[in-house]
Amino acid sequence: MALMPKRVKHRKSQRGRIRGDASRGNRVVFGDFGLQAEQPGWLAAATIEAGRIAAQQYLRTEGRLFVRVFPHKSITSIPLETRMGKGKGEPEFWAAVIKPGAILYEIGGVTEDAARICLARLAHKMPLRVRFVKRRVM
Amino acid sequence: MSDSVEVKLRKETGTRASRKLRREGLVPAVLYGHGEKCVDLVATRDAVQAAVRHGSRIVELKGAVKTGALIRELQWDTFGVEPVHVDFLRVSATDRVKVKVPVDLKGECPGQRNGGVVSLILHEIELECRADAVPEKIHAAVGKLQLGGTIKVHDLELPAGAKALVDGDDAVVTCTVPVEKGEEAAAGGAEPELIGRKPTEEGEAEAEKS
Repeated sequence: MALMPKRVKHRKSQRGRIRGDASRGNRVVFGDFGLQAEQPGWLAAATIEAGRIAAQQYLRTEGRLFVRVFPHKSITSIPLETRMGKGKGEPEFWAAVIKPGAILYEIGGVTEDAARICLARLAHKMPLRVRFVKRRVM
Repeated sequence: MSDSVEVKLRKETGTRASRKLRREGLVPAVLYGHGEKCVDLVATRDAVQAAVRHGSRIVELKGAVKTGALIRELQWDTFGVEPVHVDFLRVSATDRVKVKVPVDLKGECPGQRNGGVVSLILHEIELECRADAVPEKIHAAVGKLQLGGTIKVHDLELPAGAKALVDGDDAVVTCTVPVEKGEEAAAGGAEPELIGRKPTEEGEAEAEKS
């Protein structure tokens, strides 16, 4: 079952524009290493889950993985070969709105080498340009 | 070990002036403490980054101001790559300062060999210690941490004269059995529940009646 909110006020949302950089959620907080977005975009629930599985399969029982994003936005689409008009389409999937600088995943309890390999595997699943970051002390 | 940072006095303050400095490879800074006047400074980005890289919490300011200072706060850009602003606090070697020091795991945990997962819960610990004896890291020895065991704050070996400012019973490191997360239940439906839908329908019905 893909990630989605339990309760929402409205089923459909407008597309919106992603402006500016992430001013929150842009630091490694829970783990020791993280994957930071360098581009804005939407991260579908299925993509977040694919990344989680890719990382978890590498980590197995070692370390801990933290998913820092959640798909709050419903994305609608109209079926193929449908005439224009007749209202907005139905929700197709849920996505997280990502601003540049946002930390997508974090890993703790593993060595830096292992974290780099793990997050590199995970990065292949991402539709955005991402980079490896470490927890900062000061 | 303390790094030295060359500073100059800063006459212009505010967003535009600060942005101009940052474009020139400088970092706006401020120096305060010891009941003296607050001074606006500017330091080179390379010097600040070098101090951070070396893990120096206490630096020696040179140039326009000559004093020992604690890096009290460091602001970073969105990506955490370049420092945006530095707060220096005037300190002398005998002052007692409050600093957050990272916790580092030392040794190999025997509980890990038995299938446990070592979790570092408290990543940094707030200490009160002499300014000339701020440790770079606090080592948590996990060499004897068995499965199901916990290292608490009072178990940590702190440097002489240092005092932890957090509760001694707070857990720092634990070794627990990993929880296998099964596939999430498909229950819950394909769509989330709508908040406040019923009152809206009733309202519409009432509106229709009237």
